[in-house]
This record gives sequence, structure tokens and C-alpha cells, in this order.
Amino acid sequence: MSTATSFLDPAALMRIKSLELRAKVVVEGLWKGMHRSPYHGFSVEFSEYRAYVQGDDPRYIDWKVLARSDRTYIKKFEDETNLRCQLVIDHSKSMGFGSLGYTKADYAATLAATLASFLMKQGDAAGLTTFAEGIEEHLPPRNRPGHLRRIIAELERPAKAAGTSLALSVGQLADLLRKRGMICLITDLLAPVEHLEKQLALLSAMGHDLVLFHLMDRAEIDFTFEKSAHFRDAETGAERFIDPQLVRENYLKRLQAHRDTIQVAADRHNVEYHFCPTDQPLEEVLFNFLSARQRKKASKSAAARVAG
Amino acid sequence: MSWLFPIYLAGAAAIIAPILLHLRRRPPQDRVEFSTLMFLDASTPVPVSKRRLENWLLLLLRCLALILLALMFARPFLQSESATSSSADQATLILLDRSASMRRDDLSKRGLAEVERLFKAAKITDRIALAVFDRELTPVWSFEEDRNTPANRSAALQSRLAMLAPTWSGTQLDRALIAAVPSFDASTAKLKKRIHLITDLQEGTHLDALRTIAWPAELTLHVHRLDPVTNDNFAVALAARDEEGNADALIRIRLSNTRDSALRDFTLAWDKAPQTDSITAQIPPGASRILNAPPNSTNRATTLTLTGDKYDFDNRLFIAPPQPRAVRIHFLGDEATRDEAAAPLYYLARALQPTATLAPVLTAGKAMPAQKPDVLVISGATPSAGMHAALRDFVSAGGFLVEVASSSADAALLQTLTGIPGITVKDGDANDDYRMLADVKTEHPLLKPFGDPKLRDFTKLRFWKHRQIEVKDAGNKLETLASFDNGHPAILSARIGKGTLIVLASGWQPSDSQLALSTKFVPLLYGWLAAAGFSHDPAATLLVGEDLPLDAASACIITEPGGKTHSLEAGESFTTTGIGLYKVQSASHTQIFAVNLPPDEGRVLPLAPQKLAEYGIKLSSGADSGAAGESTDERLTATDTEQRQQSWWYILLILLAVLLLETWFAGRTRQNTLAAVWELSCLLAHRLSTALASTEMCWLQENHGRKCVNDLANR
Repeated sequence: MSTATSFLDPAALMRIKSLELRAKVVVEGLWKGMHRSPYHGFSVEFSEYRAYVQGDDPRYIDWKVLARSDRTYIKKFEDETNLRCQLVIDHSKSMGFGSLGYTKADYAATLAATLASFLMKQGDAAGLTTFAEGIEEHLPPRNRPGHLRRIIAELERPAKAAGTSLALSVGQLADLLRKRGMICLITDLLAPVEHLEKQLALLSAMGHDLVLFHLMDRAEIDFTFEKSAHFRDAETGAERFIDPQLVRENYLKRLQAHRDTIQVAADRHNVEYHFCPTDQPLEEVLFNFLSARQRKKASKSAAARVAG
Repeated sequence: MSWLFPIYLAGAAAIIAPILLHLRRRPPQDRVEFSTLMFLDASTPVPVSKRRLENWLLLLLRCLALILLALMFARPFLQSESATSSSADQATLILLDRSASMRRDDLSKRGLAEVERLFKAAKITDRIALAVFDRELTPVWSFEEDRNTPANRSAALQSRLAMLAPTWSGTQLDRALIAAVPSFDASTAKLKKRIHLITDLQEGTHLDALRTIAWPAELTLHVHRLDPVTNDNFAVALAARDEEGNADALIRIRLSNTRDSALRDFTLAWDKAPQTDSITAQIPPGASRILNAPPNSTNRATTLTLTGDKYDFDNRLFIAPPQPRAVRIHFLGDEATRDEAAAPLYYLARALQPTATLAPVLTAGKAMPAQKPDVLVISGATPSAGMHAALRDFVSAGGFLVEVASSSADAALLQTLTGIPGITVKDGDANDDYRMLADVKTEHPLLKPFGDPKLRDFTKLRFWKHRQIEVKDAGNKLETLASFDNGHPAILSARIGKGTLIVLASGWQPSDSQLALSTKFVPLLYGWLAAAGFSHDPAATLLVGEDLPLDAASACIITEPGGKTHSLEAGESFTTTGIGLYKVQSASHTQIFAVNLPPDEGRVLPLAPQKLAEYGIKLSSGADSGAAGESTDERLTATDTEQRQQSWWYILLILLAVLLLETWFAGRTRQNTLAAVWELSCLLAHRLSTALASTEMCWLQENHGRKCVNDLANR
């Protein structure tokens, strides 16, 4: 892949200690490149007028238009039009696994910080929710000076919980997020998909725009182990003697089935699904995400035109 | 290749253990943290064995180490050398004991029979020699003779064996063996060397000197121990004289009985003496007693005989009869004063009493006697000037003259005797009460009795009167033995010709001094007599093999106990060979010496042949007949060969190297570098094959070119 060479090596990036700086490095790189990019971000919304209806706050009437055309229009507020993005991070023990010198949790934190940084840079609001067996921390989406720092501080806190209850946590999240917005779920999805699908369906039905970042380590994807050993489940602590050469084929098959199931579920519930191996450069992830958003927006507006 | 302990080779089977261990799959102990087990199957059972060996190089090293260990314990050696030497000829030296203890039973005959047997068993190509020993080694048939005339060795041996008989000497096996080792000359260098020792190997055998030599590795000793019917034996020997008890007449003897002896009762009696002069008593087994000899009432018997045991070779003790030596002493003075208490002769006659070894005969007269005396004493009266020359001749010819200076007239005599004109004699200072002796040279031979510090107290010896002898220009002719406390000489001595002159500055009679009444007088006189050659010491008891203490200055005739006489010139020595009384007649006197058996020879209990091994001697089995003996022999030879080659040492070194390599590899394998080694070797092999291929190509090209040239040339 030609672009891969121009991106920062995740391993090199992860060596930067400060999460804030890490996010900044990624965002700055992409921001600069965006001016040459044919795509425009989803937040470049066209602000529009609408006719004043009774009950609207007269403060928002565009007096200039009223003076020129004698018609009352309401100017659409920026905060309404801007995106409210809730970053939902998996803090379970399984995220602590990593074979590349950094863990999935590190990668997830960097990704979240990058997204938050990027969104807030272009004026959108970003919030953060961490969960494991249930919701741990919740910061509602805001776009205020210092909010990014709070998010980053929250992201830097180490994970403490043991297991994952993805379905439960997503259910709790649905209660917390009343306003519609975008939900970026960053997790390794090491849980049965059936329960999750139900919650995703709920969130989707609530009108949230769901983006699912599925993080996986390279060792998990390819199962690169050679020697027989006792494998210990990071979350449950269960041990099982495994000869990798014997079980690899079966593992890969099951993993593929799992990913397929997730893909199918995502498609079914209109969830934007990104599969992110942790050795993939963050810019690429961000770029893919933006591209997907652009395509989605385009298809949405096309659909709207067809409908209109 | 042969093995000393082949049984240990079975230990090599232990390599099965590492092979099994390498085949056995050890359940991995590694633990791996993984994010989830949800896609992983249930545990597959761990197979007990692997289908193929892993770490084959490590396994190879481990097996090699075990095999080397087994080899090392099996002690390999190369047989070739040993085989040649066992098939080769032998050089055999037979040592036959002929000490006095071989007189028991028929030990001597059996020893000779054994010698004959060994001679007959020897092959014509073998080298065989015979030597007999007691105190020392005496060759009978040497390797040299054997090499020159191997065919008639039996005939020659018969005549020489006939002359062999046990002697009366002790057994000094150590000296015999030390002397026997060099008798293997160059002609026997390539032969298998062994010594056959035919002996009774009694307890009294001397072995200590064996510690001083390193026994040759290639020389083995076979011991043929000859055992008598019984070892029960009494032995008698002369004990040391009791120094404290001053009883000359009493003879102390040491009587001993062998351990575990059945004998107890013994009788000790003088030969040719009445039955009453005997002792009958008991001595327990293993005991040793010192007792006084029975009274010798006739005083003529010379042999003390012990009875009660079977073997009589050590039962006789010869004691020389008292034989006081006559010493003629002439007092140059008036005979009539012999019984006058104030006269010097009175004290001299009483001091010179006969002893066990000395019989002084004191004569007195104003003239020189017709027969030349041994000692001449002048005191009180100064001899006339006419006698001076005679006196000088007497001393010069070897006489012993004691002169007491009594007046200034003695100066002339002294001048004549010593030849020193500067001698003057005058009366000493009489003002003082008395003088004492000072500066006594007790180390001088003439004052030898006072050598003991206990006897050096001269403070009670007081001199009332003395003469002052002044000597000028004496050189070293005149020696002062003692001085008075005023510095004037008290006793002077001079060597004149062959004789000795002693000059006293004061007489011994009470008018002059307390000397005659003191305890110093008699020792002083006997000291002078001893210095004059009339020894006061009793003759030491001699043992067989010792030299007779002969006077080196004169010729003598020696009569052996058997009656055989030997005439010896002056300076010759005579070694005793038998027990009994030796009579030595010299010009001056006749002496009888008692020569006895060495006491150790009476200790007849046999030693184990292994005792010799303690001295570093390489022993082979005493019984060398029969298959068992031969096999033991071969075994010993194999041991020798193995010890010489020391192969196990090299195996040990290799083993250590292999173990080091194994340790290194085991460490490396953990780091998975064995694969790298394999890759490297593959690369090398590849390079090698490439190089070979290119060489082959060159060769082909060269051949082709040569072929073309040949074709062109043919055209």
C-alpha cells in the first residue's frame, strides 16, 4: 500500500509518551493533508434558513433577511448543526493484550484522543465513555476549551476492571445519551455478538450514528504463536493448554466467522464498521473513517434527493 | 584394545536414559497471557513421546559423555605390549634365605628343592640367576654365567647348591633386595623381570631400608614362604648391662617366647656346670623377660644354654670368661715404703686394685726392672742422672711415664725427657694455706674420666705443697692439663716418641695434697691406664657379622670356635661368621670374644608377604602354580600395562570437553541458535558444492582445451 509508507508507524507513535501530543501529531498531519484532499469533512455543513414558526426564539431571526425580503427566517445555530460525538472506549482486561510493544488499550486511547482532537479542532463536540463490566466514566460531548484535556486525562487512566460486558454497557449508554449524535465504539469485541446486536439495534433505533472500531492485535488475527503453552484468558483467568500448530486453523476459522457475524450485524443495523489491526497507522484509520463518512453523507443526501 | 574391568562397559547402556528423555515430551511449563480463549479449542492431550528426536546434537553429546564415562571406568589399555611381554622370555632371579633361622626343621633343604624346581622350570631362552642372602647378598649363579652357558646350568647349579648351608647371620632382606635390583643387567632389559624370594620371612627380618628406594615398576617379586612345623620358640639374647647396679658379675639376659606359643617351661643352664647352677621357670607366650643369668659357680663356663623348645639355633648364648689384662706398673722408688702411710707407693698400691678387665701388677724398685714395664711411676725420689737416658728411651719406645716433680733437681730429668732446655723447677710459694685446681682440661683424653660434668668438682681437692714448673720455649710439645689457682701448671703432659709423659707439680701423698685421699685419684689413674691402651671397658658383646675389635697396630692370630686359625697382618680386619668364642692372640696379650646370634633372628613368627607391598614392592602371588595363579598373574600384568598407559586419563579429558560442549550447546539451544548453526552448515555445504561444481567445470574446460590442442597437433 503506497500510503502506508507516508503514515506514521504506530509503534513509533506509541513511543511518544504524551497522549495529547500523540493525537496532535496524527491530527496535524491529516489536517494539513486535507487541504489537498478532494474530500471535505462531514462537519462542513451548509447552514440554512428555515421559516419562522410560532414558538421559535425571536433572537434567532435573521433580521437582515427580514429587512431585505420582509420574510422571517430563522438562522440555524451552529451548535445544532455541529456533530455530537461520544467516544466509547472498552477498558476491559482483554484490551491489555499486545504483541507489538504496545497494547490494544494504548491504541484505542490514541485513536480516541485523535478523534476527539480532530473533532474539536473542527468545532464539533466530543465526549468520552469508558466501560468494562459496566460504564466506568462518562463525559458528555462538549466543545469547550479544556474539555479535550479532560478527555485525554480520562483516557490516560489505567484500566482496572476485569471482564467485559459489552451488551450491558451499551445498554447503559443508551440511557445516558438522550440527544442524538455519533457514537464511536472502540473495542476488541471479544464477546458473543448476539447480545451486542440487540443493544446496537436499540442505539441505532434511537437515531444515533454508530461507528464501530474493531481493534485486534496482529497476534490475535494471525495467531502467530509457535510453542505449546498454557494460554491464560486475560479476562476470566481460565487456563487452557494449547498447541498452536494444532488449533491455529480452527482458531482462524472461528475468528473469521466472528468477524463475519459482526460485519453482518453492523450492516443490518446501519453501523459503520471499521476493522483496525493495531499495526495499522492511525492516519489511515482516520482517513478511512472520514472517507466513509463522506460516502455515507453523499449517499444520504442522494437518497434524500430521490425521496424529495 | 583390552579392558581391565570390562563389566563397566555395561554402563554404556545408560545412554538409553537420555534417548528416552529426549523422546519424552515434557509438558511445556510456559504460560502465555492471551486476550481470550473463546476461539480456542479445548486442550489437546500432551503426547508422552515425540515422533522424532529433537536436539539430536545435544543428545549425541550426552550419549557420548555416558559412553566415555563407561569407557573410563572399564580402564582400556592396548594389549599388544602386554601380550608380547607375556609371551617373551623371563629373567628370573632367585633369592634364597640362608640366615640362621633357616636351620629350623628342613627349611634349608626345602629352599634348595624350590631352587632346583625353579631352575628346571626355566626355559633355555629364559635367564635365571641365583643369589643367597643373610646379612648381605652373595651371588651363586649370575645372569652373565647363565647367558654364557645356559645348557649346563643344572649341572653347575648342583655343585654350587651342595656348598650352600645356613649361616649364623641375621636376615637383612632389605639390603639383599636393594642389592638384587641392579643385578638385572642389560642382557635382561627386554625380558620380563621377576624375583623369586625363598625365605621363612620371619618377623626379625630387616625391611626398613626398603623405604629408601623406589622399586622398579617392571620388576615383580614372588614370595615362596617356607613355614616350619611349628613357630613356637624361645629366644635368648644378652641384655644391656645395668648401668646403675654396679654388679660386674651379674649377666643379664633377655628371654622371649613367641606369640601364641604352646611352650611355657624353660631351663637355663651353663654348659659343663653343675645342675644346681640352672634356672627352671615359665614364660608366657608373647612375653619377653629380662633376668639375671644363673650363678656361674665355677666361673669357667662360657655357654648359657636354654632348653625347652624345639629349635636350638637361638638357644645358646656365649659369654666370654673374665680375662683381666695384666698391666705391669713399676714404681721407681723404695719398695720398703709400700706400707708407709706417708709414702706415695702406699696409696698407689691401694688404688691399683684388679678389676674384671685389668689386673695391675705393681712392682717397686730403685732401678729399672729387667722386663720392661707398661707404666713407670716416679715420685718422691729423683732418679740419678745416669738413668735419664734410659727413661727417655723407655718413653720414646712407647712407655707411659708418670713423673711427680719433687725438687728443683727434677728439672734436668724433664729437660732430658722432653728435650726442652727451658724447664725449671722450684718450690712453689708456701705462704698460702693451700692451692686448688683451676682450669682443668676435662676434654683431654688423659682426663677422660672427668668428662662427665657430675665429676668435675675439684673444689675439695687441696694442695698443701707444690713445685713451680716453668717452661720456656716449649712450643707445643708440653701441654698443660690442669693449673693451680695461682696460674702455675699442676699437670703437664707430653707425647715423646711413641710414649706419653705425665708430669705432676704436686704429689698425691697427704704431705703434698689431698689427691690420694680424694675420689679423683682412682679415676685419674685408670684414665691414664685407659689412655695408655689398657682399656678399662669390658669387651662389648659381638654379633655374627660384626668385625672383631682388633688392635690395628699389631699382627694377630685368630682362632675360630671351630678351631680354625687365621693369621692377620697389622691393619687387617676380621668379620665373624659363626657363633662362639673367638680367641685373638696378639704379641702383647690374648683376648677372647664371644660372638652371638643377632637377637632379631630369634623372632621367628612368619610375616605375611603382603607386608612387603607396604614398602612399595610389587608383589605377585606367592603360589604361582595352577591356573588361578596364572590368571592372577595375567591380571597383575594387565594392571601394570594399564597403569603405564593411563588411557583413562585421556578419556577423562575428552569427557570433560564433551561435557563443556554439551553445557554450551544446551545453553545455546535455549536461545534457538541451533537452527542458526544448521543454516550456517547448510550455507557452507552450499558454498562447498558450488565451489566443487566450479572446479569440475574448470576441469572439464581444461580437458576440452587439451583435447582440441591434441586434435590440432594430430592434424
